[in-house]
Amino acid sequence: MRRLTTALCAVAAAVALSGPVAAASQDELIEEGRAVYHDKTRGNCISCHNINDPIANLPGSQGPMMIAMQQRFPDKRKLRAQIWDATVANPLSIMPPIGKHWILSEDEIDAVVEYIYQY
Amino acid sequence: MKTIKSMLLGAAFAVLSQTGMAAESGFTLETVNPEADRLALQAFYQERFAGVPLEDYVNGIYAIDPPSRKQWDALEEFPPYEFDLEEGEELFNTPFANGKGYADCFENGGIGIRQNYPYWNAEQGSIKTLEQEINECREQNGEQPLKWKKGDVAKISAYMAWTSRGKPFDIKIPENDPRALQAYLDGKKFFYSKRGQLNLSCANCHLQGSRLYIRADLPGPMLGHPTHFPVVRSKWGEIGTLHRRYEGCHRDTRSVPLPPQSDEFRKLEYFQTYMSNGLIVNGPGARK
Amino acid sequence: MKKATMMLVAALALPVGAAQAETFEQVFNQQRALHGKGHEFTWQGETYKTFHAEELEAMAEPTQANAVALIESADALRLQSAAVGYEWRDPARYIKQAQAALAEGRFQHAMDLAARAKYQARLSLAQQKQVDASWYRAVPE
Repeated sequence: MRRLTTALCAVAAAVALSGPVAAASQDELIEEGRAVYHDKTRGNCISCHNINDPIANLPGSQGPMMIAMQQRFPDKRKLRAQIWDATVANPLSIMPPIGKHWILSEDEIDAVVEYIYQY
Repeated sequence: MKTIKSMLLGAAFAVLSQTGMAAESGFTLETVNPEADRLALQAFYQERFAGVPLEDYVNGIYAIDPPSRKQWDALEEFPPYEFDLEEGEELFNTPFANGKGYADCFENGGIGIRQNYPYWNAEQGSIKTLEQEINECREQNGEQPLKWKKGDVAKISAYMAWTSRGKPFDIKIPENDPRALQAYLDGKKFFYSKRGQLNLSCANCHLQGSRLYIRADLPGPMLGHPTHFPVVRSKWGEIGTLHRRYEGCHRDTRSVPLPPQSDEFRKLEYFQTYMSNGLIVNGPGARK
Repeated sequence: MKKATMMLVAALALPVGAAQAETFEQVFNQQRALHGKGHEFTWQGETYKTFHAEELEAMAEPTQANAVALIESADALRLQSAAVGYEWRDPARYIKQAQAALAEGRFQHAMDLAARAKYQARLSLAQQKQVDASWYRAVPE
């Protein structure tokens, strides 16, 4: 609980500091990430990873659910790196190297990170 | 006493080497052991899907996923390949322009032989598949070859499988010809190799990913894959050959796919079918 | 005694050896994975940025000659990967799009597309080499 409060405080502080312009672009980034995550011709992340978003349609189960992301990846960059190339951690992983094989652009990866980091 | 001890040691070693073979070796022509591979693969699935009888693997995903099985059982009450079988039988029995027929090209008149395919052909130095020999039979008799993926070749192959239903697969790797073992090894390597922009191997989905959802799809186990082909696939809305599926799978990795009946795919079929040795022919089949 | 000494040496050497084994490529990929493109990092005392070689090529002046050269080198790599049975779906598509952009005089766009094609063709060749050396690890034991 304490952790959550601290996290919330941190978010509030960040929002307060960054001001309305940055906040709006953050929302846009998350929306972009959401689109990439669910679109079959873009990320199609949903085909393997379930996520607690009402638009999730026919989620797959090959990979873990997108939940407790901040606890699992206290360093957001490490989450980014895991998406970029999951075979570093596990060479046999079924997960495609999204960044290394240029399946998504670097900007699209940034957007997906922001989107899933809320869960 | 000493003799007994060393004999016991020898026996223990033999047991160890049989079970441990795939672990320590099996990746070069000198060490590859198809029988150890087959047993290791069976053990993998029996551990993963405990309680599923081995002989049930001929039913693919329906062997290991009860909800899909229910739908499939309903589908099988009026098998969607029934008309293809009838047509296949008719095609098989229709003589060529020269008066000869398919029965003249195959052992036992082409009846009940599906379980021996694919096989190593020493004279030609390559793997031969049933579909390949159907077309060779046509060409030897002055007919045009059929297209590999669907239509008549799949129907004839379906009929020939039908006449072989219940016979256990018996793929042989002749010991006196290392090229056969090399073909097996090449097929094995293909199965486990990642490829395409998506970096997927056959094993990624059909071994480690079997019965895990990819959107609404459940990949089936590789054990028993070739036993039920050709299949009427709901997604195709028609009957198709194993190599049509190979091509589709290969494309799904975001590769430029190899063509049906290419050397690589025939070796893959050789490996996969050897893995299914002992399981029965149950083609043609119906799949999602 | 000798054996124990050797083991000790091996134990000491291992972490050092592992650290030394980090190639430029590994460090580059790690940095790009963490930070995206254009991030500055140092390796063996030199400073680099996380741009792929092909992205740097696409930063050359957007001229017809440069676009043609990049498209041609991309297609040459694509053909190499096709020859070993490892061609990916997209390089041929990007090259086709790049040629269309070239014909319209959109040189920068053509170069960006060709760069992506060339990068992917290079990676498909690397994939084949890596798989060749490591496929056996996926076999059930």
